[in-house]
Amino acid sequence: MTAKATAAIVGSGSTPYYFRGESAPQTIYELIGKAVHAAAADAGIGLNDIDGLVFFAFGFDTGLLIEQLGLKNVVFAHCVSGFGSGMAGMFDLAAMGVETGRAKNVVCIGATQQVGRRVGQALGNFAATPDNVFHRIAGLGGPGQALALSARRHMHRYGTRREAFAEVVMASRAAAATRETAFRRKPLSLDEYMAAPMLADPLCKFDFCLETDGALAFVVNAVDRAADRPHRPVWIKAVAQVADPAWGRAFFWLNQTDDAFVSAGAEAVAQRLYARAGLGPQDIDVALLYDHFSPLVIMQLEDYGFCPRGEGGAFVESGAIRAGGTIPVNPHGGHLSEAYVVGVTHVREAVEQLRGTAVNQVAGATTALITGGPAPVPMTGAILSSER
Amino acid sequence: MTGPSITPDFTALEVPMDTWSEPFWQGTAEHRLTFPRCTTCGTFRWPAGPFCPSCHAQPVDWVPAGEPRIYSFTILPVRSAGDDEPARQRIPVLVEFADAPGVRLVSVLIDAMPEAAAIDARLVPHWLPAANAVVPAFRLASPEISR
Ligand SMILES: [Zn+2]
Repeated sequence: MTAKATAAIVGSGSTPYYFRGESAPQTIYELIGKAVHAAAADAGIGLNDIDGLVFFAFGFDTGLLIEQLGLKNVVFAHCVSGFGSGMAGMFDLAAMGVETGRAKNVVCIGATQQVGRRVGQALGNFAATPDNVFHRIAGLGGPGQALALSARRHMHRYGTRREAFAEVVMASRAAAATRETAFRRKPLSLDEYMAAPMLADPLCKFDFCLETDGALAFVVNAVDRAADRPHRPVWIKAVAQVADPAWGRAFFWLNQTDDAFVSAGAEAVAQRLYARAGLGPQDIDVALLYDHFSPLVIMQLEDYGFCPRGEGGAFVESGAIRAGGTIPVNPHGGHLSEAYVVGVTHVREAVEQLRGTAVNQVAGATTALITGGPAPVPMTGAILSSER
Repeated sequence: MTGPSITPDFTALEVPMDTWSEPFWQGTAEHRLTFPRCTTCGTFRWPAGPFCPSCHAQPVDWVPAGEPRIYSFTILPVRSAGDDEPARQRIPVLVEFADAPGVRLVSVLIDAMPEAAAIDARLVPHWLPAANAVVPAFRLASPEISR
């Protein structure tokens, strides 16, 4: 049985994407402001119609935003906990806000600007604690270094090959070739991949995503208003947020259960999401998977049931995630090849796919999966659909 | 050309401790690795926090960890001092212990040729001085390359 959606994404807006630090001298709040203006215009509403704001990953300064942007009517401003993990959960909060009538036009915002500090070194950005001192002793300064331990364990347990990581990157480059917003559009060969320097063995430099700046915003309406907007609504079919202790703080502590250690931490999210939507992996036409590191794409394919546990490597090596494959993944090039804005570029792509306007349109796509990033709980995911 | 993994210098490192983690560092100061086990249900907890994640009780006994083995590891390049120096690596390692099921310690593997590091390899602790504590690092029990 398929549940009817109660809310939809009716507007999508973005700044250009910039290489790390190159969005200066604009501040991140200027970037956000430009994205909000663009999203409101896309939704056919004015700034004074915005009455709700939703964030994730520690959010933004609501006071500064309403002052700087001149938002006069905000009565709902909330943040999903977690890191990039909480990204898809924004649409849960936004849907709850509009379906209960707390707000009418809720704007979900994601942005990053890496001036002076880098997301890739995030584990070193925190003050020393009795827990994180062990990562300092080890020399694990960023998520990629810590997740390399999971990738190695996946290889050990399931026989996953570096060729599979390479295929995730090569498929991403192939998708980005035609996308003008993408930074890495040159095709990548297996030889080039294998010749690249290791950054955190078994991860080479190509397994790490881009470090870029940008801001994106999305307007969410309840069902009663969504039909009046200029674009076809992108329905929020279901969202799931799960704080599973088997995954916990993930790479910030590395004491996941043995099974969770070789996953992307999303198995419980996937189960809840499919149950709430009344859909299964076979119903997803395009998967927008948070690809901060290539092995985590393979693990998410397993978590979300696109292939059996442990077979993600062989699955991607078969060509399954390319255009025309069993489940096209990240036709916009994703974080590996297009740009990294903490997951929200994937929402933009989902909206374009379901409006039928994507650069690399999946023919007949009506249902898209978007995932929050494998990171400390809550892990989140959402299913969007062109049909209510 | 590559050399064995580096031994980091922790002499300036101030190890932050709290009531629950301090016994771990009291153990390492005496070159012992111990972990907290719930006195009520017997579940090991790590980090050494105030509640048992299994039964929610507070009291713990500190128990010897037993034999360490590699659960997983990564190899990070370290900039060498000059062109004539061999390339060096730092090897973060995740360690499991025979007598403390469920505990994984994040540490560093020293003096190991990268090709010799392997999941399940047996380890021996090696103790390194920090500003206010003794840090547990690890060496391979059989440093020869076995593959
Ligand atoms: Zn207990």
